Formats: sequence, structure tokens, C-alpha cells
Amino acid sequence: MPKITVDEIEYEVAEGRTILQALDDLGVLMNGVDVPHYCWHPKLSIDGSCRLCQVEVEGIPKLQIACNTPIADGMKVHTQSERVKNAREGVMELLLVNHPLDCPICDQAGECKLQDYAFEYGAQHSRSQEPRRAAKKRVDLGPTIVFDQERCILCRRCVRFCREVPGTGELAVFARGDHSVIETFPEMPLDNDYSMNVADICPVGALTTKDFRFKIRVWFLEDVPGVCTGCSNGCNVHLGVANNRVYRYTPRRNDAVNQTWLCDEGRLSYRRINADDRIDHAAVRNGDGNLDAAPYETALAAAAARIRSVIETKGGGAVGMLVSPHATNEDLGIARRFLAALGSTQAGFALLRGRKDELLIKEDKAANAAGARALDFGDAAPLLERVRGGAVEALIVMGQDVLAPAYPGALEALACADTLVLLDTHRSHLESLAHVVLPARVAAEKHGTLTNHAGLAQTVEPAVEPAFEARSEGEALWRLGQLLDLAGFSDPYEARTGA
Amino acid sequence: MISDETRARIDTEIAKYPKKRGALLPALHHVQQQTGWIAPETARELAAIFELHPIEVMEVVTFYNMFYDRPQGRHHVYVCTNLPCSLRGSRNLLRELEQHLGIEAGETTEDGRVTLGHEECLGACAWAPVLRVGETYHENLDADAAKRIVDGLK
Amino acid sequence: MQKVPFVTSYLTEHFADDAYATLAGYQGRGGYQAAKKALTEMTAQAVVELMKTAGLQGRGGAGFGTGMKWSFMPKGEENPKYLVCNADESEPGSFKDRLLMERAPHQMLEGILIGAKATGASKTFVYIRGEYAAAADVLERAIAECRDAGILGANCLGSGFAHDVVLTRGAGAYICGEETGLLESLEGKKGQPRKKPPFPAQFGAFGMPTTVNNVETFSHAPHIVKNGAAWFRGFGTEKSPGTTIFGVSGLVQRPGLYELPLGTRLDEIVFEHAGGPLPGRKVKGVIPGGMSMPILPVSQLDVPMANEFLRERKTMLGTGGVMVLDDTTCMVRVGVVITYFFRDESCGQCTQCREGTGWLHKIMQRIERGAGAREDLDILLDIASKMEGQTICAFADAAAWPVQGLLRHFREDFEAHIAHGKCPFPQSFEL
Repeated sequence: MPKITVDEIEYEVAEGRTILQALDDLGVLMNGVDVPHYCWHPKLSIDGSCRLCQVEVEGIPKLQIACNTPIADGMKVHTQSERVKNAREGVMELLLVNHPLDCPICDQAGECKLQDYAFEYGAQHSRSQEPRRAAKKRVDLGPTIVFDQERCILCRRCVRFCREVPGTGELAVFARGDHSVIETFPEMPLDNDYSMNVADICPVGALTTKDFRFKIRVWFLEDVPGVCTGCSNGCNVHLGVANNRVYRYTPRRNDAVNQTWLCDEGRLSYRRINADDRIDHAAVRNGDGNLDAAPYETALAAAAARIRSVIETKGGGAVGMLVSPHATNEDLGIARRFLAALGSTQAGFALLRGRKDELLIKEDKAANAAGARALDFGDAAPLLERVRGGAVEALIVMGQDVLAPAYPGALEALACADTLVLLDTHRSHLESLAHVVLPARVAAEKHGTLTNHAGLAQTVEPAVEPAFEARSEGEALWRLGQLLDLAGFSDPYEARTGA
Repeated sequence: MISDETRARIDTEIAKYPKKRGALLPALHHVQQQTGWIAPETARELAAIFELHPIEVMEVVTFYNMFYDRPQGRHHVYVCTNLPCSLRGSRNLLRELEQHLGIEAGETTEDGRVTLGHEECLGACAWAPVLRVGETYHENLDADAAKRIVDGLK
Repeated sequence: MQKVPFVTSYLTEHFADDAYATLAGYQGRGGYQAAKKALTEMTAQAVVELMKTAGLQGRGGAGFGTGMKWSFMPKGEENPKYLVCNADESEPGSFKDRLLMERAPHQMLEGILIGAKATGASKTFVYIRGEYAAAADVLERAIAECRDAGILGANCLGSGFAHDVVLTRGAGAYICGEETGLLESLEGKKGQPRKKPPFPAQFGAFGMPTTVNNVETFSHAPHIVKNGAAWFRGFGTEKSPGTTIFGVSGLVQRPGLYELPLGTRLDEIVFEHAGGPLPGRKVKGVIPGGMSMPILPVSQLDVPMANEFLRERKTMLGTGGVMVLDDTTCMVRVGVVITYFFRDESCGQCTQCREGTGWLHKIMQRIERGAGAREDLDILLDIASKMEGQTICAFADAAAWPVQGLLRHFREDFEAHIAHGKCPFPQSFEL
């Protein structure tokens, strides 16, 4: 393997890579080796126009752009020489000549590469007295993005993204010189399944999302690593948290799962965490047939009582469970143990499926369907039949995927159960059939692992605490197991292992 | 709407290039001869012919001086204001034409007859000042000659 | 009006003859004999060597060795190879290519055939700027004549070598004169120059190996093949052989074309051939090679017009567009005109060029209207230095050099604007 030296340190790199790619491969780019850049992006074609990534390569008189210079065995690169620093200062100054001083009103502030690099590599003062270029501001570029032409530094990442990733190509640079502007074609707005990624890759506040606009300053947000739960791709995300609330998802790079991207629907699924339709209290159906709010423990006791009565009259095999493909592997593991302790084989899971694409979007609209399958949970349909037929008298239902079109008649089947205990995160028609309702936690509120479509188990950590009492399915089942004196449930529940 | 005649010209151009898109600039010239400018509808038609996104046609239109994304006068009168011509008074000449026509450079007369503008070096520097009316060069001008030329345009 | 050069040599000696632009007229004067020789009696390698020995340098502004450039084309047959004739002449002050095409189109086409033999190219795209409508018409006629006569086509001049020429028109963008900007435009895109590597000889027009040469460069080739390298070296200097066509314009008695050997002194061109300044005026400065080339003051016109000498004076031959400025000329206004041009023509890709050309122009304008300060001159030079040598193509350099030249030799004009708050040259051309 070829070896190159960067700032006196030798590295072994792969053939056929550029200097920037090699540094990125090594994990040292902007993480030990400073080569600031705008137009280059690890997942887009090479552009070469921002000129910020210029470095000194021994033996070549002119500075070379690191993004387009192929490595060669024995190459010696300098990223911190006076010439390089001077060149960076020059690029930064020129970029700021026309850039509007919008920081006080710009969402990008705090995560803006123009701010960061101007501070790090730029001059202390501006020398320009000339009026700045005037262009369009607050352009409604499409359903998800607001665009400010004046802030744009013409790195063209957004143009390349739309052409190369979703392939929809809605953006282009019009005109030339310092009159260049990014535009869309009349009546063809920026509208594709991945449109919001342009806001991530835009180094400045030219492209920002409508969803996040003016909501909160990014320096108040803590970025908690997590996983999107919208489908079985398991795209890695950062949950942007402040005040015990998730304000947004942004993609977290994982070259094996989602590169640097997130689909718009998944990105916006953070809204589900704090949604108005969260089940925010436990409930028990009373003698009049109404659901009364109840403390969690009370509801659990009521559920235990009803299930105990079924076990005593019909045996543990008459108790079934529809597990959730949204629950963690640890939750599902406990469900398996619960069923085993009951001596019941009545189990399955329902799954909402939908469209998929060539990129990230998968058919299974849950984060852990693969985990459920790996624990030998099969499809819900046979279980629903047995409920309908009366073989299953008590059913614990987790999640609401059973309401999907793939399960016609599910509600009538479920109505046949004498006891229906619902563990779920969001409200649904299932409440009308439930005898006990128990609020569950979403992935952002618990520890655990989720297995994606490719069999990769990924960890989630709690980013927020629900404002009401809610327990993960695993914790609820564990407590239920204790109340039912099931074998193996006597130890205290441990969140991390679910044991 | 691109006429059949123009379409036939475009097809002839396409045959000359190893890749279809090579004929896009020639096609834009032919279309402009027919329509005078490239409207969004026209860009869509061209995009369909060349299997491009309409915006790829439009970005090309906006890049080049000779393609227009808005309606133009019947005649383009462009006065070179680059260095050799400026040295010989072309900017004064342009100002006199502005006054004569009652419009500023970059604008079109109300009757749609003339669009007046700046031009970059036309490659006739020894015979400055120079202007072009469409494809025709007029050289060694003075203000009176320029006005006569402009007045003669229908 | 015929555009006959005031001084002619082998390239332009028949410009006065209208028939020379026709096939019959051209052949009547021995045309296409050289191409026939190259196609039927010489190997590709021999043609390349001949050009190398002759030392022909490109006449489009960069001055790169033509034989060397032709030798870069790969030798294999797997891919089609292309020649491109850069007829995008847009350098302000240059008009020789236009006249070469209008008055001697077959001379250029014959040179193209010779280049085709040298490089193994199967097709030439002649990319002519959109504004050159008259020259384009002449070329179309000439190409058609050649096809009809079997000079172009499947069997050029009975040699078995196939070659065709396609004429394509640009649409008004100076940057399409840059080699790879031209290729992008040829392919139907915006004329934005490409990053290098890859170079055109590896990845050129439509992804195929390509060589780009200027109109005048091609035009020299038939004469070199016909008369030999030694004959060619009889003109010009040792490092810069041959003639070139100087285009003289500006404030001079006899603006026009002058075909002279490279190495002819600039003062000879301006004062003897072109008759010197207008009555009652004095020459102040001369831009020697098209607007991108730094200006020389009247005290430095004793320089031979060849790159090896011009480089010592911090300027270059460029396209040989000689622009004469006199003692009425305000150099700040010249700066405004020049910086406007580069600002308008920048393709906009590279930060330094896009923002730098704009900033240079804005400062220049401000100084011209009397609102400048001493620091502005330092800033102008600093911007220029930050634009040089750091961009995808040489446009940013071409935009920086004139500013450096003006401040190097005419700083006093700028200081006068700053000190007096207005232009100190009441008779200067107006903006």
C-alpha cells in the first residue's frame, strides 16, 4: 500500500484515492489533520471550485487542491505552511466580500462552516468597503427548504446532491461570474424524498429547513447519537435535544447504513416523540365500559388480575402476545421469556409495510422487524385467527401495526379476546378494545438495540425522558411477570440488558 | 412551440455530434431564430428532445450572452464598449444612441423594434468604434452613422 | 471593405484576393499540396517531428509547442480521437483569427488535415464564437467545397485517411476560449473549465482524446510542411520562430493587421508600421498581447515581440493584440474597462476568480469616481496576488495581471485620482 507523509506524519493509504479522500478514509480529516473545505463532500462527485482545500505538495510549485490530487507513494504534503495559510486566508476573505452579515437571524449560526473557518483561518478584519451583491432572500424553494441566495457561497454541493443522490436534479447555477445564483426551474420546485439533506450539506445558512426555522439556537442542542425508527434501514441520526425535547434529527454518518443521508420522512419522524397523540397515562376499563385513567401500577395490577384468571381457567397457553417490531431486541427478549414462562406459543407480530426505493427507504416501516424475526416471531395473521377462534383468550398487544391494511378484519378478531392489554406509544382505535392501556416508550426514551434490514444490531440510548410515566415494553412485561409469579422474573428489571 | 422546420434543423445538428447534447447550443441558436428567446415552455420542449432536465437547458441559456430568457426586440443593436473601442469613443456613441432611442442600454424600445446593449470585443478593433446589428458588423462609426443605421431598422 | 494587412507574409499575402477564400482560388496558388504530402508521403510521427523541429508555438495565447502538444495524443486506435480548432477569438484587441477565417479558410483547413494526420484524429470540431457569423458562413462554404472535392471525407485527397470537419458556433462567452471551457461548451454545457487532471489528450471532447489548437497555429502548418523546418526557422527568433499576425488598435495612426516575424520590436510595430500616435499626441503605454497581458510604458517599447524577451518585462505575447494608449488616456479608466470585462466573463466557479474579479472592479470604479484611498492600491495588488496560480484555469491570472501591470507602471494616475478626487485627464476617453 502506498505511503504518504502529511505534516511529517506517515500514513498508509489506499491506491486511487485523492489526498482528501485518503485523510477521510483514515478518519483524520478535520480530526488531527486540518484541511478545511467547502465543495468537497465524501459522498458527492469532486467539484474543485471552492479552492479552500489547497495544500502544499513537495515537488509541485503551485498549491494543489487536496480534493482532486491523487495520492502517490512517497508524496509529502504540508497543510499548515505559511503559503497554505495565506491561501486559506485569501479564500476566506473573498468569500466574505459578498456574504451578508445575517448571523443574528441565520439558523446556521453555531454550526456554520463560514463562521468556523473565518474564525480559524480568516483575517481578523474585513477590508472591503464595497456594497454587497443583492439577491433573493427567503425563497420558498419547495415544501421543505427555504433558500437565501445572498448567503450562498456557490460550493454547488446542493446541485450535485440533487443530481447524484435522488437523481432529481432540481437545482442548477444560473448565469456566471459574481452574478451566479442557484435557481430552480419554474414550477419544478425542490421536491424529492431526500430534499432536506441539502440543508445538512450546505456549509452556510443558504439552505435551511422550514421545519427547524427559528426554533432554537443550535448551541443549546445536545447531539445524542441514535437511530431513526421510520423503517428497517436504521439510518443513524443525531437527536438534537434541549430542555428534554428532541428538536430535530440530523444524519449521523455511517458508510455501511446510510452514508451521510436521511430521508425526509425519517428525518421528520422525530415529531412522533413529542406528538400530541402520545398515550400519556395508564387506563383501566371500568364497569360502565369506560376507560378510566389510573396509576401505572394500578393498571398493571388490573392487567395481571385478568391474565391470572385466564391462566387459572384455561392455562398459560390461552395467553397470547402480539409483539411490536418497534420494540428493542431486549424488550422482545423479555417477551420471549414471558411466553416461555407461560408455556404459550401464541405469538406473532404485525408490521406496516410500504414503498421502498433504491436508496435508503425500506418496505418494513419499523426499526426492528428483523429483530422480531430473529427471535422467531412470525406474522400476526395466524395468531389473529386463533384469537378469532377463541383459542387465545388474553392478548397482550404491543404497537398498532395490526391496524395496517395487510390485516383486514383485525379489529373484529381482536374484539374476540376476553382480555386485551395494550402497550403502546401513540393513541389508536385499539384503545376502544383494550381493557388495560399502558403507555410505552419510544426508542428515543430507552436503552436497547434495534436490528436493521441487513441484520446489523444498532444501539439506542435514551435522549429524553417522557413527561409522564411510561415504561419500555420489556420493563412493563417484567413487572407483569413478577405480578403473575412467572418463573425467572423475580430479579429486579435492569434497563441495559433487559434482564 | 418549436416548428417542424426548426425541429428538422435540430435533427440535422444532432447527427453531427457523437453525443446528442453536443447539438444543444446549435439547437438553441436555431430555436431563437424562430422564437427570439427561450421561454420555460421552449426549454421544456428542448429538454424532452435532448433528454435533459429543463433546468439543464435553462442554465445553459443563462450562461451565454447570445441566449435570452426574456423577450427581445426585433433587432439587437450592440455597441462594443471594450478597450480599443472605448478609446475611440464607443461609450459616447452608446450614450448618444440611448438618447436617440429614448432607452438605456439593456432595454428595448416600446414598439419592440430595437434592443440596445453593450457588447464585448467583437474582433474588429482596428476599425473601432464597432457595433453589431444582429449578425452584421458596422465599423468605423461615428454617432451620426450609428443613428442612421438604427433608424433604418424596421 | 477588404481587410488587407498593412504588412503581409506567407499567412496573409493573398488576403487581397477574394478568390483565395474559394477552393479553386486556393488550389490555384498551390493549396492542399502540403496536406497531400503529409497524408500520402509522411507518417504521423514524421509530421509530429517536423513540427517539433520547426518549433511552432501555439498562437492562441499560451505559446505551447505544437509538435509537443500533438505528441501527447495516445497512439492506439480503440477510441476516436478529435481535434478542436479554437476559433473562439475573444481576447480584446485580437482580430487576426477572424480575418484568417474570412480571407483564408482553406489555409486553416489544410493545417487541420495535417494536424489530423499527426494525431490520428478522425474529426475536427471548429468551435467559432457565436458573434463571428460572417466567418462562420465562409467556413461552412469552404468545408462544403472540401467535402465535394474529396479533400474531406472518407478518403481525404485519395490517401485512404478519413477526416471530417464540423463547424459549431459558440454563444457569447469569453471563457469558451479556454481549452476545457471550450470542450464543455462543445458538449452542450456551460463553458466552465474543467479540473486538470485529466488533460484533454486523455479525456477531451465527449470523453475522447482531444487536442485543441488555435486558428493561426493550424494556418502555419501547411507552410511548414511545404517549405520545411529550416525555412520556418528563417523567420522570427531561435526560441520563437515563424511570423505572427499582430493586430494593432487603439490610439494609433494605422490600426490594422501586420504579419511580421516574431521578435520584431514593439516600438517598430507601433511607430514605424502603425505610424505612431495620433497627431499632437504622445504614446503613453502599449498593451502588447491582448487585454490579459500587462501593459508596458512607452519607455519599455524597445522589447522584441517574443515570449523569451517579453517575460523579462513581466508581460507576454498573448495573441499579439497590440493596443496603443496615448497621453490623453487615463489609466484608471482603462482599469475600470479591463476589470469590468473580467468580472463579466468569469465563469464563476472558483472563489478567487468569482469574488476577486468583482471586488477588483468595484474598487477600480470607486477610485475612478474619486472615492479611493491609498490603501486601495495595496488591496488591489493583494487581491491580484491571491488570484494568481490558484484556480482551475488561468482566467483568474489573466484578470490579475493587467491590474498588476497598470499599478506597476502607472501608479501615478491612480494616486492622482485619489489625491484630487477625480480624473486628472480631461481629454481621456469617457466611460
